[in-house]
Amino acid sequence: MNVLIVEDEKSLAIEISAYLRKENFLCDMAFTGTEASEKIAVNLYDFVLLDLGLPDYDGLDLIKEARKNNIDVSFIIITARGAVEDRVRGLDLGADDYLPKPFALVELHSRLMAVARRKFKITAADINLGEFIMGIQARKLLHQGKEVELTKKEFDLLHYLVINHGKVLARHQLYEHIWGNTLDDQYDSNFIDVHIKNIRKKMNMHGPTPWLETVRGVGYRISMEE
Amino acid sequence: MKLQTKLALFNLLSKLVFSALFIGFLPLLIERINTLQTDRELIDKREQVIKLISEIGLDPFITSETETGFGSYNILKEEFISMERADLDEDWNFIEVATRIVDEETIDYRVLNYSIKIDGQTYLLEIGKSLSSIRYAAKNIRTVILLFLAFFIAVTLITDLTYTARVLRPLRIITRRLGTTSSPSFSDFSPVVTTTKDFRQLDQTLRDLMARIEELFRKEKEITVNISHELMTPVSVLRSKLENMLLKKDLDPEIETGIDESLRTLHRLKTLINSLLMIARLESRQYLKEDDVNLEELVTEVTGELSPIAADAGVRITSTCTGSCFFGKANRALLFSMFYNVVNNAIKHTPPEGSIQICGERRGEKFYLFITDTGRGMTEKQLEIIFSRFRTKLDPEIDSTGIGLAITKSIADFHAIEIKVTSEPGKGTEFCFIFP
Repeated sequence: MNVLIVEDEKSLAIEISAYLRKENFLCDMAFTGTEASEKIAVNLYDFVLLDLGLPDYDGLDLIKEARKNNIDVSFIIITARGAVEDRVRGLDLGADDYLPKPFALVELHSRLMAVARRKFKITAADINLGEFIMGIQARKLLHQGKEVELTKKEFDLLHYLVINHGKVLARHQLYEHIWGNTLDDQYDSNFIDVHIKNIRKKMNMHGPTPWLETVRGVGYRISMEE
Repeated sequence: MKLQTKLALFNLLSKLVFSALFIGFLPLLIERINTLQTDRELIDKREQVIKLISEIGLDPFITSETETGFGSYNILKEEFISMERADLDEDWNFIEVATRIVDEETIDYRVLNYSIKIDGQTYLLEIGKSLSSIRYAAKNIRTVILLFLAFFIAVTLITDLTYTARVLRPLRIITRRLGTTSSPSFSDFSPVVTTTKDFRQLDQTLRDLMARIEELFRKEKEITVNISHELMTPVSVLRSKLENMLLKKDLDPEIETGIDESLRTLHRLKTLINSLLMIARLESRQYLKEDDVNLEELVTEVTGELSPIAADAGVRITSTCTGSCFFGKANRALLFSMFYNVVNNAIKHTPPEGSIQICGERRGEKFYLFITDTGRGMTEKQLEIIFSRFRTKLDPEIDSTGIGLAITKSIADFHAIEIKVTSEPGKGTEFCFIFP
C-alpha cells in the first residue's frame, strides 16, 4: 500500500516512513503543504498521513482540495493539537482517522490496517490461537465451540496483541490503545498486568496459552507459528 | 460593622449628643429668655402706666380712701400693680424677684420697682408677674421642644438609613460582584450606574484591574496550551526514533533495557503534558458542557472499569444511589475522569481486605456523592496539598504524576461542584462531591 507522509518535522517523517517500510508500505514524504498538494494531485496514494500544523497550509484544506478533485485517498490526521474541535472538524471533512501526537508506531500501523480493511471491505477472518479461535467479526473467543467469556476490554487487549503478533507491546502502548490519553495518570500502573492475568485465568480453564508471552520488564507478545 | 450601620450610628450619636447638650442647657436658656421677655413686658407696662398717669393724673390710683397707695391683682394673682407714696433717698429702677403674701398665699413674683416724682411727692410703682406662670410657660415650651427633638431624631434616623442605603448601593453591588466572580472577570457585568463619583472611579479601577488580570490569565493559558502543543512534536520524534531502534535485530540487552526505560519516561512526559493541557483547557473553559449525566450510571461505569484492579488488590467496592441523580449541562467524559481518578486513587491507598463505599443521595436541592475508603488516610498536612499540581508524592511506592487529583479539582471547579475531603490516618479517607 502507498502512503504519503505530510509532516513538516522531517525527522518524524523519516522515522514513520522507516517503520512503515518495514511493514511493507510504500512511503513518500512531503514537508510542506504545497509539496503535499502537488503530490496528492499527481500520484495515487492509498493513505495520506496528515499533520495539521503545517507552516504554509492549513492541513484541513488539503482534505478539502482532494475531495473537490475527487481523489480517492484515505486521510489519517496526526496532530499535536489534540483539541476535540480539531478532531471533529477533521472527521467532518472526511478524514478516516485521527491520531494525537505522540503516538506509538504500532498504533499508527494498526489504525492504517483498520482503515484499509474498511476501505477494501476485507472481512477479517477468524484467527487460530493454539486451541482457541478468535472470531473477529463476532467479537468472540471460542474453545472447541464453547465461548470463553471475556470482557470488552479484555477482548480488545487480546485482539490488539493478536493483530500485532510477533511484536513486543509495552504496557504503556497497550494502555494507550485501550484507554486513550485521558486517564493515564498512572503511567506505570498494573492495569495491563491485571487484565492479562484475568485473560490467562479465563483461558487456562479451557486450555493452555503458551503463545501469550510476558516479556520481562517490558510488556507482552503473542507468538504464533505461521 | 457595615459602612451603612456605621454612618447611621454616627449620625444618631451626634444628634443624641447635641440633643442631650441642648436639653441640659434648656432650663437655663428658657429661664434666661423668659426673664428677659418678662422684664421687657414689665418695662412696657411701666411705660403704659406712666403714660396713663401723665394723661389722666394720679387721681384714678390715689384717692382719698387709698391715700397711701393703690394695689391691684388680677383674679388669678398672676399679675399685680401697686403704687404708694414712699420716701426714698434715691431713684429706684430695678427688677427683682420678691415674695408676696396675697390672701394668705405666698407667691413669688418678678417685680419691677420704679420711683416717680409727681408734684414733689415720690411714689413707688411696682408691677409684678408671678413666677409660677412664667415657669409654667417654660415647662410647656420644654415639653414641645423635647417632643420635637424625639420626632426629629426618629425621622432623621429613618431618612439617614434609607439615604445611605441608596447612596451605598453601588458599593454593595461591587462587593457582591467581587464575591461571585470565580475567575478574574468583570466582563459579564455592566458598569455600576451611580451619580457618586467615588464609586464610579472604584468600579472603573476594579474593571481595569480585572481586565488586566483576565488578559494575563488568558495569556498564561494560551502559553500553556501552545507550549504543550509545541512539546508534543519533539516527544513524538523521540518516541518514533526509540521505537524504531527497538525493532533492530540483535540489540545488546543493556541497550534494549535503556531504550525501554527511555520510552517509559517519554510516556510519563506525555502524560504530564496532557494533564497540564487538560487543566489549562479546563481553566480557560474550552470544554463543552452539553450532557445530561445520570450520576448513578456514571458511577457504575467507573466501578465497572476499575473492578478488575480492585479485585486484584483485594479491595471491595460497593455503591448505592438514592434519589434523582441527574446532573445537567455537564461534560460526561470529564466527570468520568473525575470519579475515575478518585476511585482509582482510593484503590491504590487501600490495603487488601479493605473496602470502598460509594454513596449518593439527594439532600434538598443538592446531590451528595461520598467516596469513602478504609485506606491509610492522610494527615492534615497532606490533606492541605492533595489538590495542588506538583506536590511531592504522598507515597513514594506509588508511581503517579501526582496530578490526578489536581485534574479532579479542576473538573469539579469547571462544573461548580464542591469537593470536601476528610481523612484520618490509619482509618481512611472520604471524598464528598456536592453537585449544585
